[in-house]
Amino acid sequence: MPTASTVERSSETHLELHLRPTLFIPELRNKKKSSVLEEMVAHLAKHQITRQADAVLEVLRQREALGSTAIGKGIAVPHARSTMVAERAVLLARSSKGVEFDAADEGPVHLVFMIVAPPVERDPIYLQMLAQIVKAVRLAPARRRILEAPDFGAIRALIAAQLSDE
Amino acid sequence: MNSKLQALVALQDLDLMIREAKDPERATQEEELGFPLNGVEKLERTRERLAKQIDERLLQIYERMSRRFARVIVPVEGRVCLGCFMGLPTSTTRNADSGTLENCENCGRILYRI
Repeated sequence: MPTASTVERSSETHLELHLRPTLFIPELRNKKKSSVLEEMVAHLAKHQITRQADAVLEVLRQREALGSTAIGKGIAVPHARSTMVAERAVLLARSSKGVEFDAADEGPVHLVFMIVAPPVERDPIYLQMLAQIVKAVRLAPARRRILEAPDFGAIRALIAAQLSDE
Repeated sequence: MNSKLQALVALQDLDLMIREAKDPERATQEEELGFPLNGVEKLERTRERLAKQIDERLLQIYERMSRRFARVIVPVEGRVCLGCFMGLPTSTTRNADSGTLENCENCGRILYRI
């Protein structure tokens, strides 16, 4: 029989289930896309998401060559599948000063959601997470609250609220 | 990681990205979310350059196997090939650890340990 906590967890979206306090950078040190990608992949490696940071960084760079993942309004979602990643992971990072990320609107990026996943074809969860990120940050007040949130727990709660707000 | 394996991994990841970008359904889904995929030709040129750096015989093996399998290079977990899910002899898994290129005795895929 499911317990109250399992019922609660089952209502969580894939994005919420992948958000972890260890995979959060409150303030990025770097301000350019290339160095931010390096900083974030190093964080993934530090937390054992990959043992081959160079390979993961390379595939993320190639993904940026395919088309910038900065979708405007201060948001970037660099994402790629890598043979050298064992499980899906989402790393969230903030930059109060902003990052140059080749955004369509040419504006600086303040919130970066990096998704990495193993190269499983037709992984519906990967695409669902992309859609959930876009939904969670589509409104200006939500973006502002995420940027101003005091800690990871508050950000996670804000994202959950946005995703449940249909 | 062994440099041969490193180059093959980069090739496999690039191939998957190109395949997905050329899949109309998948590309539409990403583009509708606001992610343009307008650099496929650029990636194809990168792929050509990368392939030229790989040993010809190894590249032929990879190309031949990639017609059969979506993923040619697969991880080993414990002593199991995660391509065909068959058990592997101890000697094979030891070599996958050491970075030597090793194939699964059952399916032939190239093995690595994450």
